[in-house]
Amino acid sequence: MIELKHVSKSYGGKQALDDVSLTLPQGEIVGLFGENGAGKTTLMKCILGFLRYDGEITLDGAPISRKTIERISFATSEHSFFPNLTAQGHREFYVEHFPKFDDKRFTALMDFFELPMHKPLRGFSTGQKNQFEVILSLCQGADYILMDEPFAGNDVFNREDFYKVLLGILREHETVLLSTHLLEEVAGFIGRAVLLRQGQIAGDVSMLELEEQGSDLMTFVKQTYRYRADRVSRALDDLTGGDA
Amino acid sequence: MKQLDLQRLVPPGVDARQELRWLLVGWALSFVYSLGFAMRLAQELSALYRVTGGKRVLRIDAVMPDFAGLLGSHLYGFLLVALCMLAVVTYHYFYHRQGSKSIYLMRRLPDGMELHRRCWTLPVLMALASLLAAFVLLMIYYAIYMFVTPESCLTPGQWQKLWSVIL
Repeated sequence: MIELKHVSKSYGGKQALDDVSLTLPQGEIVGLFGENGAGKTTLMKCILGFLRYDGEITLDGAPISRKTIERISFATSEHSFFPNLTAQGHREFYVEHFPKFDDKRFTALMDFFELPMHKPLRGFSTGQKNQFEVILSLCQGADYILMDEPFAGNDVFNREDFYKVLLGILREHETVLLSTHLLEEVAGFIGRAVLLRQGQIAGDVSMLELEEQGSDLMTFVKQTYRYRADRVSRALDDLTGGDA
Repeated sequence: MKQLDLQRLVPPGVDARQELRWLLVGWALSFVYSLGFAMRLAQELSALYRVTGGKRVLRIDAVMPDFAGLLGSHLYGFLLVALCMLAVVTYHYFYHRQGSKSIYLMRRLPDGMELHRRCWTLPVLMALASLLAAFVLLMIYYAIYMFVTPESCLTPGQWQKLWSVIL
């Protein structure tokens, strides 16, 4: 289990994470939501040790170290592959550095998405690059897969395929923390939703709870963010002097 | 014997052979510049003699300038190539933020030294090779200087003078 206890992070004077406490047990697909600048990426980077922070982040009760970092993988819309390297080159690099690299899953996903094995990544389309980024994170052999807006730039069919594949291939012990703006799309695939607002946890609910309450993810998010439904009509009224 | 895989000495995707080609270009230019020593040696050697009746005769007061003085900056090219390797190291680190953020992958590898190993190894080897090349040329030029200079024209302590300049 990954556990964050009172994690805070600020950039200069701006508080990116403010006393965040969160647990990520194994075997869950967790959606991480929030507006731009809410702290989603910062939270992931803190877990990965890319940023210094105040507070404590543990993996099965111990700080995340070089020995345990391989249990966490990361897919980002910024991409973390090597643009000049081929897919085959990445495979060899991962095999060398991640002993639990799942070669069978890699081959299957490469085939499924029909990605070329011997073409440098810089020649891939944006959608293909995103797919490859996610494939690497899924094949590293990690228990915790962090995905930060991994499908930015992919078309809807592509994303739909990926969600289905994700559900189909994940093993019981694999946890996914998926940060995305595509609330409605992922609602059917996640088991829990965590909402960040201005660096704080604004909501944390399981989809089962929402279902039992007769609610849905979008309603929950709107309530948590105190979304004003009349906001648009008011703005239009203001802009058009009430003619709209 | 297992062949050395140069690609393992540079960041993944960087063309190690291309970097070696640039090194060879640097060495070729450095070598051409170092030939300036041979030209100066030839001039000074010629000045040791005067021509009498069509014959070259060693002047009585002829003294050959010190080797270190003749050498001057003619091996600096190799030192410059070695220094340029610092720029290559910088490029290797920067490479991990070019076109993608592969730095994220490198920073979460179980082997924490992999990033630094791949950024430093080849440039350090190339820098050492450049220094070695400069040293080998130094020895060759010194041997040529000692061989072609008449013994009576040499001032004593050439070797010590050379090292006092180097150190």
